[in-house]
Amino acid sequence: MNVKNIFNPRNILILIGVGIALAIPLMFNASQYVMLLMTTVLLYAILASAWNIIGGMAGQLDLAAAAYLGLGAFTTGTLLIRWNITPWVGMFLGGLVATALAMLIGFPLFGFKVKELWYALSSSALVVVLQSLFMMWNEVGGPTEKYLPIGTSPWYSLRFNNYMPYYYIMLIILVVVLLVNRWIRYSKLGYSLMALGEDEDAVEVLGVNSQSSKLKALAIYAFICGVVGGIFASIYGYVHPAFFDTSMSMEITILGIVGGMGFIYGPALAAIIMVSFREILRASLGSQLAGLYLAVYAIILIVVALYQPRGIAPLVERGLKKAQTYFVELTRGRRADIKSH
Amino acid sequence: MLETATQGIITGILMGAIYALIALGLSIVFGIMNVTNFAHGDFVMLSMYLSFAVGSALAWDAVATPLITAPLMFLFGIITYYLLIDRTLRQMYVVQLAVTVGLQILMRSVALIIWQAQPRALQYSFIQGNIQIAGFEILTSRLFSAVVSLIFIAGMAYFMNKTWAGRAMRAASDDLGAASLMGVNYHKTYALTFAIGSSITALAGGLVMSFQQTDPVGGIRFGLLSWAVLALAGLGSLPGLIVAGIIVGVVESLTVSFFDPRSRLLGVYAIFILVLWLRPRGLFGRR
Amino acid sequence: MDVEPILKVTNLTKKFGNLVAVNRASFEVNHGEIVGLIGPNGAGKTTLFNAISGLYRPEEGTIFFKGMNITNWLPHKICKLGMSRTFQVTRAFTHMTVEDTVRVGAYNRFNEKNVQDKVDQVIKVCDLVDIRKRVCEDLGLASLRKVELARALATEPVMLLLDEAGAGLNATELAAFMDLIKKLNQESQITFCVVEHVMQMVMGLCQQIVVLDSGEIIASGTPNQISNNVRVIEAYLGKRAVHARNQ
Repeated sequence: MNVKNIFNPRNILILIGVGIALAIPLMFNASQYVMLLMTTVLLYAILASAWNIIGGMAGQLDLAAAAYLGLGAFTTGTLLIRWNITPWVGMFLGGLVATALAMLIGFPLFGFKVKELWYALSSSALVVVLQSLFMMWNEVGGPTEKYLPIGTSPWYSLRFNNYMPYYYIMLIILVVVLLVNRWIRYSKLGYSLMALGEDEDAVEVLGVNSQSSKLKALAIYAFICGVVGGIFASIYGYVHPAFFDTSMSMEITILGIVGGMGFIYGPALAAIIMVSFREILRASLGSQLAGLYLAVYAIILIVVALYQPRGIAPLVERGLKKAQTYFVELTRGRRADIKSH
Repeated sequence: MLETATQGIITGILMGAIYALIALGLSIVFGIMNVTNFAHGDFVMLSMYLSFAVGSALAWDAVATPLITAPLMFLFGIITYYLLIDRTLRQMYVVQLAVTVGLQILMRSVALIIWQAQPRALQYSFIQGNIQIAGFEILTSRLFSAVVSLIFIAGMAYFMNKTWAGRAMRAASDDLGAASLMGVNYHKTYALTFAIGSSITALAGGLVMSFQQTDPVGGIRFGLLSWAVLALAGLGSLPGLIVAGIIVGVVESLTVSFFDPRSRLLGVYAIFILVLWLRPRGLFGRR
Repeated sequence: MDVEPILKVTNLTKKFGNLVAVNRASFEVNHGEIVGLIGPNGAGKTTLFNAISGLYRPEEGTIFFKGMNITNWLPHKICKLGMSRTFQVTRAFTHMTVEDTVRVGAYNRFNEKNVQDKVDQVIKVCDLVDIRKRVCEDLGLASLRKVELARALATEPVMLLLDEAGAGLNATELAAFMDLIKKLNQESQITFCVVEHVMQMVMGLCQQIVVLDSGEIIASGTPNQISNNVRVIEAYLGKRAVHARNQ
């Protein structure tokens, strides 16, 4: 292992990124607003990275992230409220519930080879339907918020009075999700998904069971969304059918797309940039006309989608390659200097 | 119970005709241009707000507002096409999705900015009131809107099948690459098509405003309805669109009557999913 | 030596609505053979291939492969059993590299630990070493055809269906392609069934030729027999050509 190879631009960037991410709470913990912002950014980064598995890799335009998130939230919340089950367990169960629904919906949909568009539409409709259902289901949902109790131990009920613990939990989950992304991407499933996203019939004659591959991707994605839903409920302190938010689902999908479909870090990067930007916009413009910041944000999204459709990640890759060559030149020049003496 | 059912069915049929009209705009854009406009429902929402603005400012009846809103939405359609849609035609499908979803968010936020979050409604309509037929109440505004919708759809069918311009539009739905290689300026045809689809939503919006109110998130509902109708109908048949519209309208209406008003979309969604699973071509589709 | 044919198609019928694309087609392929499937345009050759490889479901008839009834099997199961194919219009994984494309095929039999060796081997055999890292959308036709073959080869098939793999290749490329098929046939004992219009390829490679016209098999035999078969000439060139020939 050449020690020099480790110190390449990509790894340095990762190191810096991790360093900043870890340091943020320590620097900004005074401002709860900034902490909430950072936690929200992480939330979207996780969801967009999870979406990458079904969207970026498997090529299925899923718009149901909020459905799985909401289910996870309600599972966790209800378990805590009614039976005092800790969200640490509730999250996991929430993930399972979300996965169960995903399989229920996905199995027939994938089996009948529903085309891109219709999958997008029906997954989008799923969110709306769940919202209606939970609005009507008064015991668990209903029109008013169901608040989560704080209980005796904040770590048990996952209800803290500042955002720092949530931030770190989310950070850990983000790292895990990115690693999951990486593991899948270079595994048999990953290659099958990428190929399947290109041409489903061609991949079948190569021995790939496209339906089961898609279902696996869907399951992993839904599970992650469900787990995150549990934390989501904990952060907000309540559950409400508004969690089934189509706009949020769509935003996550767009982040996944403009991040660079299939690239491991792409969606997370897009989330970090765009969501930060959005919240900064909200802070400066939000107090004025409600909706203005959303309008600006939407315009930015459209512009990125139109002019950089392959996403931000390819740009980053190009930049890294240039930096790499420059780096190599630099070190080579050095060695040449040393030799000539 | 039979009475509730019949009342529900009647309402459903009337609403269905209007849904068919809304779906018509979508069918033209999707069927001819193969463009997926995720924001279609929000076009309707915007049209309704424009109707509100025009109707309030000029003290016009809701159903008269399309006289102004239709040209406005036509223009909006042209602008949207050239700014957004045209560039996405030769790209991967996801780009169109991302762009129209972005458009959706944009339209909702603009509506929010201009008109704020509370619902808006128009007051004066010469077609207020209701008719009694065999003991069942029918809102005149709904009846009027349904009739106008049907007439318009019939007119559109005539235009598409019998006139040169209409057939040219249908012909333009062929291979994009081949068409442009042969020198056909598909940009203009497509822009026109998209704008027509857009102005149809203006007509529908005006009609709907005569008996409903509008809010920034209404687009979601109209979006789901139009896609459900389109999925059920399939592409290529305008009568089919009417039938599908009526089915969707009736299901929505009966769901509201017999379950919970808040569950209105559930029945529609159920149809949508069933159609996608069992008969993706739609009941009357050719493709 | 009585050995079952590796592929046995019996009375296969495929309809699209009222259009009968393939009508009661029957033929056999023996182990290690290279069989050519020829016929005028629209004869139903690709449809037949699609039915055999599991992309279409036939209305009637049976397909036996390696002794198993695969008539209603899904394509990926058929591939696991040992049949793979290429497509008439190359269906490359546009945004993937050559190497990754081959890897997808290799995962049919291998797992993450040993897949790389198989990938390397196939890339060498198919002469893709120079372009292994290139993205498919940048490649020319001849290269794409090699990639199609390579990824199908990576699945370790005992039988390969090639659909007009020779179309559009120039003389040199064609010769190289034919050599590759011969090599694979002799060294790896892969049975081939090729749909072809390029007569040079058909006559040069195939031991058996099956002729399809308007969905029906009108003749089968050795290249020599086929080139003298009246019905075949008729199908390609029309009755007048036969008449002229007999003058």
